[in-house]
Amino acid sequence: MSADKAPKKQISLPLRLTTDAMLTALGLGIWFLEAQLPPLVPIPGVKLGLSNIVILFALFRLGPADAAAVLLTRVLLASLFGGQAVSLLFSLCGGLLAFLVMWPVRRIVTNRQIWVAGILGALAHNTGQILAARFLIGQDAIFAYVPILIISAILTGLFTGICAQGAIRRLPFPPRLT
Amino acid sequence: MLKTRTWIILFAALLIAAAVFWWILGRRSASSSTVQIIHDGEVIREIDLDTVKEAYEFTWEDADGNRNLIRVEPGRIRVTEANCPDRICVEHGWLSRELTPIVCLPHRLMIQWKEAAP
Repeated sequence: MSADKAPKKQISLPLRLTTDAMLTALGLGIWFLEAQLPPLVPIPGVKLGLSNIVILFALFRLGPADAAAVLLTRVLLASLFGGQAVSLLFSLCGGLLAFLVMWPVRRIVTNRQIWVAGILGALAHNTGQILAARFLIGQDAIFAYVPILIISAILTGLFTGICAQGAIRRLPFPPRLT
Repeated sequence: MLKTRTWIILFAALLIAAAVFWWILGRRSASSSTVQIIHDGEVIREIDLDTVKEAYEFTWEDADGNRNLIRVEPGRIRVTEANCPDRICVEHGWLSRELTPIVCLPHRLMIQWKEAAP
């Protein structure tokens, strides 16, 4: 439980900054690769959300400030590189809501329950996105997608959460510099 | 701190509830035969699909060059071509009676039934 807090104090500021920058680059790369894949299913809002693996790693290994920094930098750079103004709104609503949920969840899950944070984060992400879509489209008919977005969030959140849990538990940290 | 088993039961229950809700929604059909084409929250066109006798197509385009080619047939409507990045609106296929609207989020465009919110 408190294992995630120890490294935060151990690592030096330059190492921490470098790790944040590296995680941002990794998240951006994963985000870009996922954007190249065709949609899994023809349903708006359904995607794997692989870049949340990086955010979960930052949150559990470094801390909330690092995770927030990595998230915001990734979202801004991603919309700069490949998106329209609309996608920035969607990424921000989904990403920030996911972060605001995963942040307190970090304290109530064990090292073996990180996948729970993955699912709750994905549910919050999809909630943020459907609200953004409702705001943009201005019609309640779009809420017909809520059930399928809940199903999709549970499945994709479980997958990315398990990936993040594996990375958080197995990767050496702080990295051994030789 | 909840046990892992409790989390699994919670998520399984939510999954089943959402699936049942989705299934019920899929069995309900639209009460009206009129579809509305919505852009930026405003109705830009209404078509009564029951009065359509011959198939036709028309192109919607906005000032930014966002384009959707919409095909109307007796009783059904779909997006056949679009220059949006994900083309989910094209993949959606026909809207013939089900409640889930055709959505093209990148173009802020939607085709929905009149007075048929879920």
